[in-house]
Amino acid sequence: MKATFTIIILLISNLTFAQTKVSGKVTDAKGNGLPGVNVYLKGTYDGTSTDSQGAYAFETEEKGAQLLTVQALGFKTQDLALQCEGKALTADVKLAERINVLTAVTITAGAMEASDEKKSVVLKPLDIVTTSGAMGDITAALLTLPGTSTVGNDGRLFVRGGDASETAIFIDGMQVGNAFGSTASNVPTRTRFSPNLFKGSFFSTGGYSAEYGQALSSALALNTLDLPLRNQGDLSVMTPGGGYTQTLTGKTQALTASANYYNLAPYQSMIKQHFDWEQAPESWDSEISLRRKWGNAAKSSAGMLKAYFHTEGNRMAIWQKIPGDDGRGDRVQLRNNYAYGNVSFRQSNGEGWLLYGGAAFSHNKDAWKLNLDPMRQVTTLAHAKMVAVKDFSPRFSLKNGVEWYIKGYSEELTGQNLRRDFTDHQLNHFVEGSYYFSNRLVMVGGLRTGYSSLARQAWADPRFSMAYKFENEGQVSFAAGQFHQLADEKTRIHDPGLKNTSATHYILNYFIVSNNRTLRAEAFYKDYNHLVTWQGTAIRPENIARNGSGYASGFDLFYRDKKTFKSIDFWITYSFVDSKRQFAAFASRVQPSFAPKHNGSVVAKHFVGRMKSQLGLSWSWNSGYPYNDPNLPGEMQRKTGIYSDLSLSWSYLPRPNVIIHAACSNVLGRSNVFGYRYAAQPDETGSYASLPVGQGARRFAFIGLFITLSKDKNANQLNNL
Amino acid sequence: MKTVTRIIALLFIVSLPVSAQDSPYQKAMKKEIAAVLHTDSLPQLQRSANAFARIAELNPTEWQPAYYQALACTFQSFNKTLALDKKDEVLAMADELIKKADALSPGNAEIITMQAFVTIAKLSADPAGRGQSLSGVAMQTLGKSMAIDSKNPRTLVLTAQMEFGMAQFFGSGTEKACGLAKQSLAIFSAQDEEALKAALLPTWGKNQAEGLVGKCK
Repeated sequence: MKATFTIIILLISNLTFAQTKVSGKVTDAKGNGLPGVNVYLKGTYDGTSTDSQGAYAFETEEKGAQLLTVQALGFKTQDLALQCEGKALTADVKLAERINVLTAVTITAGAMEASDEKKSVVLKPLDIVTTSGAMGDITAALLTLPGTSTVGNDGRLFVRGGDASETAIFIDGMQVGNAFGSTASNVPTRTRFSPNLFKGSFFSTGGYSAEYGQALSSALALNTLDLPLRNQGDLSVMTPGGGYTQTLTGKTQALTASANYYNLAPYQSMIKQHFDWEQAPESWDSEISLRRKWGNAAKSSAGMLKAYFHTEGNRMAIWQKIPGDDGRGDRVQLRNNYAYGNVSFRQSNGEGWLLYGGAAFSHNKDAWKLNLDPMRQVTTLAHAKMVAVKDFSPRFSLKNGVEWYIKGYSEELTGQNLRRDFTDHQLNHFVEGSYYFSNRLVMVGGLRTGYSSLARQAWADPRFSMAYKFENEGQVSFAAGQFHQLADEKTRIHDPGLKNTSATHYILNYFIVSNNRTLRAEAFYKDYNHLVTWQGTAIRPENIARNGSGYASGFDLFYRDKKTFKSIDFWITYSFVDSKRQFAAFASRVQPSFAPKHNGSVVAKHFVGRMKSQLGLSWSWNSGYPYNDPNLPGEMQRKTGIYSDLSLSWSYLPRPNVIIHAACSNVLGRSNVFGYRYAAQPDETGSYASLPVGQGARRFAFIGLFITLSKDKNANQLNNL
Repeated sequence: MKTVTRIIALLFIVSLPVSAQDSPYQKAMKKEIAAVLHTDSLPQLQRSANAFARIAELNPTEWQPAYYQALACTFQSFNKTLALDKKDEVLAMADELIKKADALSPGNAEIITMQAFVTIAKLSADPAGRGQSLSGVAMQTLGKSMAIDSKNPRTLVLTAQMEFGMAQFFGSGTEKACGLAKQSLAIFSAQDEEALKAALLPTWGKNQAEGLVGKCK
């Protein structure tokens, strides 16, 4: 008993004798010394940090077998066995880098992200709201990005020589049908959804993931806010209307409800309009959004459920002149009712599994009256999706998903009791693997397959992309892929068995962010096949076939700078598109009207602290729209003059919770022409009379007052973005 | 053998109050806390962060090592020579550590205030890009902490700083901000700093309060 005790005492005192000195150098794989690395004996207080050269040295009183732990941010922790016996030890350690998806290279080919969290982004979510000239329209803000073309008489998103139907839009991963408001021809429309809803967006101008299909040119994925910060009420009073939004938050859930009403009649009665309105556009909408999260992402399983419902109604009546006819022309009346709802979820289990998916439904009803003839068109889209992602290691992850679409369309000449419709079921599967060779090199390969019950056709689209990051932070990426898309419903109704059109993309991209400056350069080639062609008019097409083909190639540049000029943030884009295609009723390959060759934009935001104001400027420009003149031989022989629009805006914050926003488009008052319409028949002299397709008014001016009511007196509507 | 253990245990129990000595944990913590609070040097803050990581590994049930490591990381982010992505890297680390500390000591006003401090550091790293989105988050987090402990001088001084900045921006009065700063400084002056240090509790923030009160005059 006594003996044991003595031995223990001896052992303890023994430890205080001979110290072991441990020293060495910690380097990365290339042999460069790593500073600030944590080096210590596991399970003891003995340890130190490396100096600026990567060298370290410390002493320990521990004896026997010990474990030397070497730990540094961005590297794999390494343990080294040591035998401490009072003699000096040298241990040099080479650390291997750890794959960190947050800081590793990302694929930027074709992709433009707006996000607060990620690095390779061109925009912040707030930019979409504060871009001058966008007037709160998501699409209008995206049109200041490279790869897009402004088509002023349409308002939708045109990407790289593709028409507007070639862009698919998603909210929280679920597809949205009829994302743009219904409108009469040559009267521009807007996105139906308020930009204040979304926290981030992913806009691809080509070469996108196998997760997205049935879009030949582009995918736009919008993600709604997670949990808002606080309870608040947002009141807006604007020249075209007003609305109120109430947000209620709990610890793990939130509810937002909003209602808006717009009527352009008072505005149009004061400002001269070029369009001949009988009833100015009038609309109402209401929205409910519910969010609930659970679990703790840091520890183990966590998830989130989101539900979003949007419903709206619009009405308008407009007179449209007929070329060669002196009268008021055709009267077009439209009543639109629209509803969209989706439920989406995501669940991670902390062991490398992520499940997400949901269900969505869109319903669009357009009740038209063309002069005296009533017509009703109903478009429906149901979408269900389930995706599983498994991270097998930090390097390799695999995504597997199934999707089911039901696309329906009906049109009815209500006066004549004539009705036709179709319903198409589409089943899709996609699988995509991504592999990080290092933090610098990543490759992604995917395959999307689909089947349409109506077209009785199965298809398979391979996709591939890779990215490599250089020493100086710049990176180069490449993407290629095949894309299939069925014709739009208004063509399909004439020939429901119509099979897919297709496109192949090749994209090469260079991207660098450094010190608040961003440069993005991209070259692309897109090959179109099996485009739908017909004879006659779009309303009564004959001999519908898939005989068209074409291409679009070009490059674009984006430069953003927040540094050079004090408190000025600006970006400049230039896009060159060379596109020709045979499609619709064209007998040869032509440059489409929606693909101007040279496109550019400049956006600048200047913050003036003294005035509590942000001044905005945006200028967009293109080299003119091709159009077809039946008085000349051939097709699409002519081109309009250049398009140019300079918009200015002023946001003033008199108090933290009040924003006054004033904006005016086309301040220089240019008369932009987007093309010409021609008479169906030649007049007595044998020539076809024409009318220019122009702007609804020379300028659009907007003034809005946005007030936020909450306990936090400093909160305003932009805080959640 | 059982007796041996008992004797050793007894020895410890007896010797503890007599010697009134710090445990190795306390000794190591005090040394590093002092180092963090008295330096602006990036390498020193990095060394201290590493030291807290070592201490945390040996004392997995204590929230202070993670808390102070987060503080050492956050102080690093205020270094002007650091590039934005490096700042974001240390602040992401600080976020992780706060989650860890919060799990060990839920509802702790000091930890919630630390979280607000990290948000403010993120905001300071890129005020033009993040001011609008993060000032609300910071204020909300401070509000949460205030609801638990309305007399925490660090919560008060950080709130005062945010209010001061906003009052300056909007050209409104700084009375509220200055009142909070003075309240904070009064609490700092009245507290027994040595006792807090002995208990390894946070004491930082007095300089900020003094600076702000100075600006208010």
